Amino acid sequence: MKTIIEPFKIKTVEQLYFTTPEERKGLLTAAHYNPFLLHSEDVLIDLLTDSGTTAMSAKQWSALMDGDEAYAGSRSYYKFEEAVCDITGFSNIIPTHQGRAAEKILFSILGAPGKIIPNNTHFDTTRANIEESGSLAVDLPDPSGIKTEVAADFKGNMDTDALRALIARVGAENIPVVMLTVTNNSGGGQPVSMKNIRDVSAIAHEYRIPFYLDACRFAENAMFIKLREPGYENTPVKKIAQEMFSYADGCTMSAKKDGLVNTGGWLAINDDKLAAKARNVLIVTEGFPTYGGLARRDLEAIARGLVEVLDESYLAYRLRSIEYLGDAVEKNGVPIMRPTGGHAVYLDAKRFAPHIHLDHFPAQAIVCALYLKGGIRSVEVGSVMFGTYGPNTDDRSGAREQIHPPMQLVRLAVPRRVYTQSHIDYVAEAVSEVYAEREKLTGLRFTYEAPVLRHFTARFALV
Amino acid sequence: MEKLARRAWAEPFKIKVVEPLHMTTPEHREKALREAGHNTFLLRSKDVYIDLLTDSGTNAMSDNQWAGMMLGDEAYAGSENYYHLEETVRKYYGYEYLVPTHQGRGAENLISQILIKPGDFVPGNMYFTTTRLHQELAGGTFVDVIIDEAHDSESLFPFKGNIDLEKLAALIARVGSQKIPYVTVAATVNMAGGQPISLQNLRDVRELTLHHGIKVVLDATRAIENAYFIRERESGQSEKSIAEILLEICSYSDACTMSGKKDLLVNIGGFLALNDWDTFEKARNLVVVYEGLHTYGGLAGRDLEAMARGIVEAVQLDHIRARIGQVEYVGERLLSIGVPIVLPIGGHAVFLDAKRFLPHLKQLEFPAQTLAAELYLESGVRAMERGIVSAGRNQETGEHMFPKLELVRLTFPRRVYTQAHCDVVTEAVEAVHDRRHSIRGLKMVYEPKYLRFFQSRFEPV
Repeated sequence: MKTIIEPFKIKTVEQLYFTTPEERKGLLTAAHYNPFLLHSEDVLIDLLTDSGTTAMSAKQWSALMDGDEAYAGSRSYYKFEEAVCDITGFSNIIPTHQGRAAEKILFSILGAPGKIIPNNTHFDTTRANIEESGSLAVDLPDPSGIKTEVAADFKGNMDTDALRALIARVGAENIPVVMLTVTNNSGGGQPVSMKNIRDVSAIAHEYRIPFYLDACRFAENAMFIKLREPGYENTPVKKIAQEMFSYADGCTMSAKKDGLVNTGGWLAINDDKLAAKARNVLIVTEGFPTYGGLARRDLEAIARGLVEVLDESYLAYRLRSIEYLGDAVEKNGVPIMRPTGGHAVYLDAKRFAPHIHLDHFPAQAIVCALYLKGGIRSVEVGSVMFGTYGPNTDDRSGAREQIHPPMQLVRLAVPRRVYTQSHIDYVAEAVSEVYAEREKLTGLRFTYEAPVLRHFTARFALV
Repeated sequence: MEKLARRAWAEPFKIKVVEPLHMTTPEHREKALREAGHNTFLLRSKDVYIDLLTDSGTNAMSDNQWAGMMLGDEAYAGSENYYHLEETVRKYYGYEYLVPTHQGRGAENLISQILIKPGDFVPGNMYFTTTRLHQELAGGTFVDVIIDEAHDSESLFPFKGNIDLEKLAALIARVGSQKIPYVTVAATVNMAGGQPISLQNLRDVRELTLHHGIKVVLDATRAIENAYFIRERESGQSEKSIAEILLEICSYSDACTMSGKKDLLVNIGGFLALNDWDTFEKARNLVVVYEGLHTYGGLAGRDLEAMARGIVEAVQLDHIRARIGQVEYVGERLLSIGVPIVLPIGGHAVFLDAKRFLPHLKQLEFPAQTLAAELYLESGVRAMERGIVSAGRNQETGEHMFPKLELVRLTFPRRVYTQAHCDVVTEAVEAVHDRRHSIRGLKMVYEPKYLRFFQSRFEPV
């Protein structure tokens, strides 16, 4: 049998609501052309994010009922700790309400003005938390990673030469931690090879710099290694994941991705002294160390989710279902990031809508068109999310100079275990239709932007 | 104060789902306590028989709330549960704008960072651990302006949570209103023994602060319990519904921070609710950095739904009467056998007065910490210290704060324990009380930097 099917059947369903194109036009205008501001009931297929949108299993729901809601010393915590430890091997496991809280704690301790924190590519909240601490967030992607049309096995890798050069230039004492995001979300959900993890770890440790993984999608990354990296064909995925973590000194984790849950995360740290500091900060902003700001039942759901996510038939289905969507749109000529990543298909907006100037956010224009066409919600990963301003202003218009990131992408993130093949077929159809009518796309400009993480609340008008 | 008839507080619910308890032996408890450094926070819950550590997040949810959990809309943005919660908060608390947070301290963090500038003063009716810490981290200094009766465990004043208007006026005169971004008003006052504030006092505080352009931020964590006390004790209020009183309490403030884990009958969740658009705008931009997008605030959608449904259940008179009736039942039994407790009995807990319970111990021998440890040893009942350990150290001098009240809090989770459990608790306290003269104090051997009571460790002297 060649067809890879879902290794589960459906136990509970959630009603979808249909809207007409006219209704959507009004709704999008009311949301200021930012789908983040749409009510979810006005969305038919929600590909905004794979974060926290997972369908939990019956076993996870039953674990949820078994949550021990004691404030301190909850048995659910110990179950969670054991499950995380089993995969990561780290000695201090600190639960947090979600991933960004783990980042905040880590960087508020390690970061400071003048410090530099490199990563293959930082994600939006990671970057924001690093900048909050006064440090500088630096991306060092492998050169293949920023060319959407190049198909390579491990486009999520870090450029190790660039890492060495950075250390030589700024000094190891100014780099409190080296990070790798697996898979590389902002770079298209592309995996990092075991070799690259090993190399980055060796370089960091050569200079006595701690090395941390942003482990949100560690299981998807491990499966890519199994499928693509020589020597791992017959290694169980769990063993691969364990090896990935073995090179690191700790990790931040949003369990809302590969924890297969709706909320939760953790910070794991081998260094006991650093862990004691982290727990002190945790108590201020998150909660007591045995619950970290989560209902204890959610710790139970994570513990169970970590078992399910390493099931190879699940991971095979997961990666194949993303590839399926990528293949379906590419067949109609839609330019996408190749190969498809682990959790999303990324449309290349520069090639999709070359007639829209980057200052007018081509990827955001496509995001809006997808909603109007099919009620599909996606997200811009380009200048809206990562753009900054330069020192100059345009003499005539007074517009500030925009500095653009290397790629303009539209992310179609697929929630885990939620949508069926016919939903995905519908999405592929809508994307292909928008592409066929691409000359009609028009750019956008800001009418409101927040000082940090502006993409969440930004408002736009048509140019 | 009218005495409630015994039957009046019978639980207005029956039990639908249960969780087994485990009995332990004295030897087992001795070992567990030693491993926990004589700090009840560090005990594993499996070693605890009846857990009165806190009423925070330990509530039993209703079948209706669990049904709401199944209706969780886990969309990252624009979840329907958010809109339901927003509408419910607006209806029952009266504030225009809502920013959900993963729990109460998330909301405290936001409001402190937005409104406090370094060098500012923040007056309030007695400190609360996390509230004060967030104010200090934002560069402010907390100033206690609660009435003196609050510090006297034997005073029977009905509203020991009230703010002393003269103290507040004196602070304004001393530092100037520009240096006071807001007053925090807690309803009820946890550290004073769960004591309520009166509507009249809230009105007076509002009048005084409005005059000086100072905002009022309500800590609404147990405002529904406070509303019940107002209904019972304040003249002219006995015919009003809890919901009406709650709305009036909130109407004398500009914003509230809320830990839904208390009044709102959930296991996780909180919010910041407010009327001012500019502050809301700032909070919405900050919440995404620390908590999550403003339509989920770091919570699962289902938890927003459970909280929205919890609000409606929490303001029912039958519920709140049974809730406070249970606490009162335990308090009165302890009084009748001569155990010193804080009076009047508070809304969420019975507070043992450790200074009078163990008068032979010096405050630096941690009498309340010792008493909590002994209670566990005796019976497997877990309580919490609310005395010198919780009070921490002065930021500038580094000295212990030496609070007047040295209390052990027996906190009752909502809808969790039965009357028989309550009887076991009073018997356990009585047994410790009988052997109180032979109890020795503790010394602190590990002290963390922030909120030390959570993780500090002790050894017997």
